[in-house]
Amino acid sequence: MIPDLSVGIGKIKFSNPVLVASGTFGYGEEYGSIIDLNKLGGIITKSITFNPREGHPPPRTCETPSGMLNAIGLTNVGVKRFIKEKLPFLRRLRTRIIVNVAGSTVEEYVEVVRKLEGKKGIDLLEINISCPNVKEGGIAFGSKPESAYKCIKAVKENTSFPVIAKLSPNVSDIAEIALVVEEAGADAVSLINTLVGMAIDFENKKPRLSNVTGGLSGPAVKPVALAMVWKTAQKVKIPIIGLGGIMNTQDALEFLLAGASMIQIGTGNFVDPECSVKIVEGLKKYCEEKRIKRIGNLVGKLKTK
Amino acid sequence: MRTKKIMIHKDEGLILSVESLNEKLFKLKIYSPVFSLMAMPGNFCHLKVNEESFPLLRRAFSFHRVEKDKGTFELLFKVVGLGTELLSRKNPGEKIDLLAPLGNFFSFPRKDEKIVLSAGGMGIAPLLFFLNYLLEKKFNPERITLFFGVKKEKELILLDELSAMRIKIHLATEDGTIGFKGRITELFYQELKERRVKLKNTMFYACGPTPMLKKISDISKKHNLYCQISLENHMPCGIGACFGCVVKTINGYKRVCKDGPVFDAREVILD
Ligand SMILES: Cc1cc2nc3c(=O)[nH]c(=O)nc-3n(C[C@H](O)[C@H](O)[C@H](O)COP(=O)(O)OP(=O)(O)OC[C@H]3O[C@@H](n4cnc5c(N)ncnc54)[C@H](O)[C@@H]3O)c2cc1C
Ligand SMILES: Cc1cc2nc3c(=O)[nH]c(=O)nc-3n(C[C@H](O)[C@H](O)[C@H](O)COP(=O)(O)O)c2cc1C
Ligand code: FES
Repeated sequence: MIPDLSVGIGKIKFSNPVLVASGTFGYGEEYGSIIDLNKLGGIITKSITFNPREGHPPPRTCETPSGMLNAIGLTNVGVKRFIKEKLPFLRRLRTRIIVNVAGSTVEEYVEVVRKLEGKKGIDLLEINISCPNVKEGGIAFGSKPESAYKCIKAVKENTSFPVIAKLSPNVSDIAEIALVVEEAGADAVSLINTLVGMAIDFENKKPRLSNVTGGLSGPAVKPVALAMVWKTAQKVKIPIIGLGGIMNTQDALEFLLAGASMIQIGTGNFVDPECSVKIVEGLKKYCEEKRIKRIGNLVGKLKTK
Repeated sequence: MRTKKIMIHKDEGLILSVESLNEKLFKLKIYSPVFSLMAMPGNFCHLKVNEESFPLLRRAFSFHRVEKDKGTFELLFKVVGLGTELLSRKNPGEKIDLLAPLGNFFSFPRKDEKIVLSAGGMGIAPLLFFLNYLLEKKFNPERITLFFGVKKEKELILLDELSAMRIKIHLATEDGTIGFKGRITELFYQELKERRVKLKNTMFYACGPTPMLKKISDISKKHNLYCQISLENHMPCGIGACFGCVVKTINGYKRVCKDGPVFDAREVILD
C-alpha cells in the first residue's frame, strides 16, 4: 500500500503536508544544492514588503537553550525585485510556492498583494500579521481581532490566490484571532510565529540582540505551539498549518494529532538542512507501517479521554 | 575575495583524531574525501557537535589543513563554550555531520606580488591552510611575511611548521614573553609606518578576533591597503538563507556566511 500524503487548502493540492517556514529558507535557492526541493509539499518565502528592507543592525540572532532568538527585521528585496529576481527560480520548481507578505499598514499589505496578483509560479499567499520584530506594524495587526480582521479582509478583496493568515502567539487568545480571520475569508491559518523573548549578556550588562527583544523559535517553543494548535482546532473549520520547533517526524505527527493538517519546518532547516525531506519520508514510512491510507486520517486524532 | 559556483553538500565525516595542543586548543582530523577535495583556503564548514537539541545550532570552523590524497581535513579550534567543549571530547571512530564548503575564499596573489598575512590567535587556522596552498602552488616563500600575535606564549602554536616554510615571521605576545610585547596590530602598524612593510605590489590578508580586524580595517582605509579579512559572526543557517549573520558594509548589510566570510577590509564597518 502506498499511503496518500496529499492534502489540500481550498482548491490547491499539495503532494504532502510538509512546508518550509518563512524566513528560514530564503527564496528557496540556497537549499537547492542540498536537498531536492521538489520533494517538499511547498516552499514559503521570506516575508516580502512593498519596498526593500535592510533589516536590523547586528547582532540579529543568538542561541538559547534548545532554541534561538532572532530579530532580523524583515530583511527582503521588496516585491518588485522579488518578482523579477526571485520568482523565476521558484516558478521552475514542481512544488507549491507560497509567498509570505508583510506590511506596516493595511495599505502596504494590499499594495504588495496587488503586485503579486496573477503572477505565474505563485500558488498561495501567507499573510504575516504576526512579526514580533517590526515596531511600526506586523504584530499590531495580529494582536487585535479588529485589525487582524481588517487586514485579512482587505487582502482577500485584492487577490485571487488562497490566503493563509499567519498568527502570532503573543496574544491572550490565539483561537479568537483564528476565528476572526476565518470570518474575514482566510482559507487557512498557520501558527505559530515566534514568541517574544530576550537574552542578556550578563558580563557586559547588554542585551544580546541589537533590537533588545527578538523572536524565540526551535524545540523550546514546541509545547506552546502544540497547545495553540490544539486550542485553535477546537474553534475553526479552515485547515490549520502547525509549526514551532518541529525537528523530526514524530514532532510533525504530534502536530497532526493536535489538529494541524499541514506543518512547517523553520529552525529545523538550520540544524539539519535535510530535516524537511526526512520528515516527508518519515511520514510516508509511518503511514505504511501503521497501514494508514491517508495522512489526513490522523488529523485531530488526539485522544482526550 | 573569490567565489565560484560551489555546490554545498552535506556529508558524514569520520573522526580520525582529536589532539589537544594545550588545555583550550584542539585539532580535529576528519576523513571526508568530498570536502578535502572541495575546500579552498577561507572556506568553512558548519557542523553539528551533538545529536541532541542542546546546544541546538551548528558551529562554524575554518578549514585548517587539507590532505586531498588522504581524503582528510583538519580543524583547529579553541574551547570557548559548550559546543566547542563537546567537540573536544569527540572520539576517533565517531561520525560527524558536516555542511560544506561554505562561503567565499581568499583570492590569490600574482606570482610577482608580495603578501603580508596577519593572524591573531585562532586566526592562524585558515591562514595556515592558505600558506600551505600557496607554497604548494610554488609561490615564492621569500615574498611572504606573516605577523602572528597571541595573548600568551603557550598559544603560539605551529611555530615549527611555520619556520620550516622559510617565510618572514614577526611574533607578538601581549605579555611580551616572546617577540614584540603588545598586540599584533601595533607591531603591524609600526612596521608599516617605518616602511619595512611595503605597500606597492603587496596583497594583505588578516584573520583574528573582531577588535583586531577592526584595527586592520581602520588601517586599510587610512592607507588604502587592499586587505582581505575573514570575519566571524553567529550563523544560524550558514548558507545565506536567514540573514542572521550580517555585517555592516559601505554597500549595506552583507551576509558573512555567503557574501563572506572574506571581505575587503575597506568595505566593512565594524564596531
Ligand atoms: C566562518 C567562521 C569560521 C570560524 N573558524 C573557527 C576556527 O577555525 N577555529 C575556532 O576555534 N573557531 C572558529 N570560529 C568560531 C566558532 O564558530 C565559535 O567559537 C563556536 O561557534 C563557539 O561555540 P560554543 O558553543 O563553544 O560557544 P558558545 O559561546 O556557547 O556559543 C553560543 C552561540 O554563539 C555562537 N558563537 C559564539 N562565538 C562565536 C564566534 N566567534 N563565531 C561564530 N559564532 C559564535 C555559537 O555558534 C553558538 O550558537 C569560526 C566562526 C565562523 C563564523
Ligand atoms: C531567522 C528567522 C527568520 C524568520 N523570518 C520570518 C519572516 O520573515 N516571516 C514570518 O512570517 N516568519 C518568520 N520567522 C518565523 C518562522 O517562520 C516560524 O514561524 C518560527 O520560527 C517558529 O517555527 P520553528 O520553531 O520551526 O522555527 C522567522 C524565524 C526565524 C528563526
Ligand atoms: S547564517 Fe543564515 S544568512 Fe548567514
